[in-house]
Amino acid sequence: MIDILFIGLSLGSILLLVSLGLAITYGSMGVINMAHGEMVMLGAYTTVLCGKWLGANLFVAIPIAFLVTAAIGFAIERVVVRRLYGRLLDTLLATWGIAILLQQAVRLEFGLSFFGIHVDGLGPGLQNVAVPTLLQGTVAVGAVALNSYRSFVILVTLVTTLATWIILNRSPVGMQVRAIIRNPHMAAACGIDVKRINSLTFAFGSGLAGIAGVMMSGFKSIFPDMGTPIAVDGFLVVVAGGLGSLSGTVMSAGMLGEINGLIATATNDTIARAVVFGVVILIILLKPKGLFSFKGR
Amino acid sequence: MLFKNHYEPLAYAIFIAAILAAPLVLDEFWLNRFSKYLVFGMLGSAVALSWGYAGILNLGQGLFFGAGAYMLAMSLKLASPTSLQQGSSTPVPDFMLWNAEPGAPTQLCCIVKGSALWLPFQSQWFGVAMGLAVPVVLATVLGSVVFAKRISGTFVSIITLALVLLVRLLIIDAQPLTNGFNGLTDLGSFHIGDFTFDPYGLESYYLIAGLLSLVLVGTRLLISTRAGLILQATRDDEVRARYLGFNVPHYKTFFFVISAAICGVAGMLYVLVSEFASPTFMDLSFSITMVVWAAVGGRASILGACIGAILINMIEAKISETKALVEVWKAIIGLIFVLVVLFLPRGLGGLAHDLCRGLWRRRVSGTSPVGKTGTISHPAA
Repeated sequence: MIDILFIGLSLGSILLLVSLGLAITYGSMGVINMAHGEMVMLGAYTTVLCGKWLGANLFVAIPIAFLVTAAIGFAIERVVVRRLYGRLLDTLLATWGIAILLQQAVRLEFGLSFFGIHVDGLGPGLQNVAVPTLLQGTVAVGAVALNSYRSFVILVTLVTTLATWIILNRSPVGMQVRAIIRNPHMAAACGIDVKRINSLTFAFGSGLAGIAGVMMSGFKSIFPDMGTPIAVDGFLVVVAGGLGSLSGTVMSAGMLGEINGLIATATNDTIARAVVFGVVILIILLKPKGLFSFKGR
Repeated sequence: MLFKNHYEPLAYAIFIAAILAAPLVLDEFWLNRFSKYLVFGMLGSAVALSWGYAGILNLGQGLFFGAGAYMLAMSLKLASPTSLQQGSSTPVPDFMLWNAEPGAPTQLCCIVKGSALWLPFQSQWFGVAMGLAVPVVLATVLGSVVFAKRISGTFVSIITLALVLLVRLLIIDAQPLTNGFNGLTDLGSFHIGDFTFDPYGLESYYLIAGLLSLVLVGTRLLISTRAGLILQATRDDEVRARYLGFNVPHYKTFFFVISAAICGVAGMLYVLVSEFASPTFMDLSFSITMVVWAAVGGRASILGACIGAILINMIEAKISETKALVEVWKAIIGLIFVLVVLFLPRGLGGLAHDLCRGLWRRRVSGTSPVGKTGTISHPAA
């Protein structure tokens, strides 16, 4: 039984890692970033490229992926999203366009494939990343042997969640972000540079997605289209947990992960995913504000 | 006033005349392709109705399209020669034989678990009726629950998105009943009496072109009715419409259902010309692609969204003939999409509207560009 719960926890931690970034960009800024899944994808490809070109392993890839995706997220916010604040549904569409562009950029190797140049590690095919030997095998916790890599993912999730919480609740920038979540106009009136903070928030959320991508690369094949289903899961977690609530996102990621794990053990993966979708639809119908939304005015 | 300007009915007339005359210049292959694009045009219009006029961004239109497609495809599957020649008194789809347990009776009633559901589909008209009924019932239930709870905006998009993916997974999982990932292929043809509709024939084309014209004109007239105006009022300010005493959920649900019904019809027509139904109809990307068509064509323009869908698909077909450009085309679509959302939020329809207004030098009062909530307050041609 413990091993099943552990699998659920590990699924939940991946969900959380993906949705942390969304909890900030969607939950706080209200931007539906359909390109979030592509940030995960880029994070995974960063790991591949690090391995092939720098000879670096997964650990080194974590900070690099964070910086790369954060920079891309920053650029997206500056060039596109910024012009669409207040047009929520339009950001969804524009970022969908960006998502396609990013997918094709990877698939066409940034257009280099037209000139007959092949970048090792990019292109339309599948990529794989070797898990460092340190993380292979199992660790014993009490009487139960747990998969090391999955344990590592849970650990990384814990650390990033904690870091996000501290930044959000214990730093001056975090205070400004929370002020913007409550009321952007009032925040602006109080002298907060809403545009600057929004760019940083968006970059940070994208960076978190990049880290999720690195973690994902350890147990999934990497391909240009991998991001879309991941982003969908992330949205469901954030919506079910309640917009603007970090703890809600944590709870709902854990809950959906466990549901997924339990049902998958009892039946199969397809049904498990379907049940998760069903649960989220029910939650939205019964509690449109999400399970753990904060009480704002 | 039904039409605010003279050129709008003219635009509809020209478009309908054009699609009716198109077979004069199209060969058999292109006729079949073009029929599909007309079906996509219908989908574009359905999106424009629910998104542009009701303010409901449905990311699950594929659910209704797929439901319509599957219902008719089930009937046509039973009518295919292979299903009829399985050596039993009832037609049996080939994939059921592959999925049946050894020793199961080769009868549609009991070959695999649940296959009795297929029994009524031996009548083609039952398939057609269900192709319309299933989307309508789904949309009625979904709409009345969602809108009565005053769920709106992005939450509706997320619910519809989750729902279409949920149904897609169920269909894939029910492999013995639905042939899972592979979908329903090798279908018989649709017939009325003794007349058989050839997917490459002129009759199929005119069936689709006729229904599309009907949908276009019907929808355009519908949004000019009192109910249509109330709907637009609801879209622009739901709270105010409610305070004025209108039953907002009823109006929203009604138009949501109409949009779903159009998608259901489109699904059936698509099966008619493409001769297959598959879970890809319920992919997230297909549903969003429909929104792309409507956005490029003009979300607040029934005709514009239709033309947008047809144009995008025609260009895509032309470009995809060169192998190297297939992937580039996707990137171009992504780029076009970003640019349209940023700089042309009312799409080609809005652009045409402005151009015509400039030409005629008529002052139409009350045009406002994109409002605060991301909706458009003035419908274009």
